[in-house]
Amino acid sequence: MKMNLQTRILGSAAACCVLGLAVPQRSSAVVSDEDFNALKNLVQQLQQGRQQDQQQIQQLQQQLGETQSLATNAVEKADAVAAAQSAPVRNALHNFTMVGDAEVQYGKTFGNGTHNGFQLADFAPIFLLRANDSVLFEAGFDITLQNGLASYSATTPNGNTFGYSHDSGSSTSVSMSFGQLDYIINDYIMLCAGDVLLPLGTYSERGAGWLNKIPDSPLGREFLPGSGIGAMLRGAAPVGESGQSVSYSVFAVNGPSSVDGSANSVTMDGLPNLDLGGNVGVLNSGSTGNLHSSPSFGGRVAWFFPWAAHQDLELGVSGQTGVWDDSGDHYYSAAVLDAALHLGPNFELKGEYINSWFGTTDAGTVRPWAVWAQAGYKLAAFNLDLPLINNVELMGRFDSENDGLGTSIDRYTAGYVYYISNTLLFEGDYEFIHSTGPNAQPPNMLMLQISYGF
Amino acid sequence: MKHPHSCSQSLIRAAAFVAIAVAANVGIITTVRADDAKPSAKQPEPAKKKLTGAELYAVNCNRCHPERYPTEFNSGQWQTLMTHMRVRANLPAKQAKEILKYLKEEAGN
Ligand code: HEC
Repeated sequence: MKMNLQTRILGSAAACCVLGLAVPQRSSAVVSDEDFNALKNLVQQLQQGRQQDQQQIQQLQQQLGETQSLATNAVEKADAVAAAQSAPVRNALHNFTMVGDAEVQYGKTFGNGTHNGFQLADFAPIFLLRANDSVLFEAGFDITLQNGLASYSATTPNGNTFGYSHDSGSSTSVSMSFGQLDYIINDYIMLCAGDVLLPLGTYSERGAGWLNKIPDSPLGREFLPGSGIGAMLRGAAPVGESGQSVSYSVFAVNGPSSVDGSANSVTMDGLPNLDLGGNVGVLNSGSTGNLHSSPSFGGRVAWFFPWAAHQDLELGVSGQTGVWDDSGDHYYSAAVLDAALHLGPNFELKGEYINSWFGTTDAGTVRPWAVWAQAGYKLAAFNLDLPLINNVELMGRFDSENDGLGTSIDRYTAGYVYYISNTLLFEGDYEFIHSTGPNAQPPNMLMLQISYGF
Repeated sequence: MKHPHSCSQSLIRAAAFVAIAVAANVGIITTVRADDAKPSAKQPEPAKKKLTGAELYAVNCNRCHPERYPTEFNSGQWQTLMTHMRVRANLPAKQAKEILKYLKEEAGN
């Protein structure tokens, strides 16, 4: 079509030229009317053709314009749609990772008449569910096996009762050690809510079978709640560019409660009345509520100072305070100092000084306290050509506590960790225990443990 | 042995334990170093510079537990684990991001 048109235009132009050239030649000659009219007709015809061509050209140009604008519109629309799709849509990209650890123990207590035995101490999976860069839900469980209980008792016709009670069968218990939602608000504030691990000292936030170089907890940790139902804000800021940082945590949790509701130091059967592991917000009746009127508050600030890789010091101060009895008249408070020191890759020293106090109606202010220090020394430091030796870390711990209710314990632990791999550990420890009071412990204990972190 | 009935007595024992541990460590380090042929004395003080992701990993990731190697997890899992560790260890955002970058680069499959 286009070709055709061009040909015609060119054709007309050529014809004009031919005429233009022809006319002067002919002007000298006599032009008959007939010829003139014929020529006139031809010119008229050519003019008409040209007009038609121009109209067609205009039409085509119009059409072309319309097509172009349609195309532009289409492209614009497509761009808009694409832009809308790639605009920061807050869609999640879920990732589920399961980690955790498992422990098998062998224990022997001396002096209280129990036999030694193996136990599957713990299977502790941790579920990590991440929605995007700033949202994570983490829950840690402890699944343990315990002997079941079978008992039988009967009365003979003459009135004697007889029977037995023995640990037959087994039962499995599942407990949640923490279950918290973490939301990173910005570079300096993170929100944790749920059953959060409490930063009172560092032990409960830094405990897991394959982390603890001695299987049992240091003395004094039972004077502090390990976790609490509530919310926590925490964050850290770097100090300079050499790895130093300061960090803070502040929290509000339901707080401790009382076993029998009163503020007596012990219950009717003589057990400690302070309950640091309960008050989870749902009452036995299924209704919700704190056992006492107000929550507990607390926090920790810490300073981490590395001067080279594996050479660092961390110091922390933490505490918590809040009422514990149902009537809300008596306070439980705790203050903890913690420190951890690394002098090279082979030497670690850490410890805590734990102080707590709570008001009672019958015994005034009870003041449980404890101190523990633990040192680890990796024999790899000796650079011996003996892999068996290089994988060993020697452990020592001193811990001491007084529960404020008449029991005091002094304990010396010596042991080792054999690293089969970085997360498969074989530990052995012997504890020398000296204790007095109603909750005195058996004098000595041997523990062997295989722990696997995954 | 007598039981400590006062807090200060226990603190003194704990302090003694700490002192012995540090002294033993320093003693061993000096002996081991003395065994080395070259005296390890006075290396030039490294200039204070910005730590890289790998260096921050070395500084932080075996403070609380044996080091977990980058190849143990894949990059998506590291993203999750680093959020977990950033919260747990209360690490500064900048450092956590640098470490994550390093772990992702070196991650397994
Ligand atoms: C403040 C102490 C602390 C520091 C520092 C720390 N971690 Fe951890 N890490 C833990 C604790 C406690 C656990 C085990 C319990 C848990 O996962 O909740 C753990 C577990 C892990 C696990 C395995 C998950 C599991 O539970 O088996 C990986 C992987 C890990 N850490 C990597 C790292 C890396 C990488 C770094 C360096 C940024 C790091 N950690 C620094 C305390 C720490």
